Amino acid sequence: MQLVIDPDMICCVTGEPTLTALDDIEALDRVYRSRLLRFVAYATGDQDLAETIVQDCLLKAYNARDSFRGDCAVYTWLAHIANNLIRDHQRTRKFQFWRRVQKTSPDLSELASLLPSGASSPESQILARERAQEVAAALQGLSENQRTIFLMRFIEEMDLQEICQATGMQLSTVKTHLHRAVKAVRLKLGGRA
Amino acid sequence: MESRRESQVHLTDEQFAELLLGAEPAAVREHLAACAQCSAEAEQVGGAIGSFERESRLWAERRAATAIEVGERQPGWAWLQRPQGWMAAAVVVIAMAAGVGVTVHSERQPGVAQPVATAPEVSAATLKADNELLAAIHGELRAEDSTPASVYGLAAGSRGGRAKAQKRISNE
Repeated sequence: MQLVIDPDMICCVTGEPTLTALDDIEALDRVYRSRLLRFVAYATGDQDLAETIVQDCLLKAYNARDSFRGDCAVYTWLAHIANNLIRDHQRTRKFQFWRRVQKTSPDLSELASLLPSGASSPESQILARERAQEVAAALQGLSENQRTIFLMRFIEEMDLQEICQATGMQLSTVKTHLHRAVKAVRLKLGGRA
Repeated sequence: MESRRESQVHLTDEQFAELLLGAEPAAVREHLAACAQCSAEAEQVGGAIGSFERESRLWAERRAATAIEVGERQPGWAWLQRPQGWMAAAVVVIAMAAGVGVTVHSERQPGVAQPVATAPEVSAATLKADNELLAAIHGELRAEDSTPASVYGLAAGSRGGRAKAQKRISNE
């Protein structure tokens, strides 16, 4: 007769701590990769660089998981790390060089085949995609801080306090950047701002 | 029947931003009910941001899924969590380093003498320059080898914090 031992049972018997979500890098990757990827891709305007930064971010978070105090949401903590990595990359000459040479911004038109077909007419789908592309173009005209905060608030749906934690900025500064970003996007979309 | 008319006074930037953020004070609500222009603009800008949110999410999900598919064919993160993975990698590296000089190529034909490759002569000056370059690179890498805790000023936490994090993840 063969005895099969469940590793979880060993954990229970020995009293060793079980894995938390932060201890499982594959779970971190699975839960947060796409969210981080979207944020970083639109913050940098470069999807290939975004892949690198997200990978670095998840690895740094995993390596520094003991320093996470739990006083903010995990995503806020990850956004904080990602935001600093973006700044680090943007400071380097290498980034400036590659930005000029091979910038590969996210292309929303790639999504044409993924848009839901039954919910709305093809015309309204095309219109929605055009509007989305206008917002994407408007984002590229914003300053780094404005773009980051706009993305965190409207796309990642973080509240203002979480944005303060992730960026290290004062609430009044965050609000100022956000209002300016909204004004610029509104203007770009043909508004009266 | 009440009809919307063109108002002379419109929503300020701050009011418009707050409106997009979901706040709709009575004054703003009343203005939107009376001003067709602001109402249409709020709908247009809000709709555009909503479209962008939806489409960018689909893009990111697809992109991340593609990365996962590629990752499934290649070793993923698991090696990070297995010390034996590190040990195996170290053994392979050492074995390769040791075997470089004595590897016998299978393409060799038996009985045929093969020329022995020898390392080219390197001058002392070149060696010195190379060593200085390697030392500089090593220094750069060490400078970059830091954790978010040290770089971004995150203080050391506790297991209690981890428990809260676990709870947050499960809620998200």
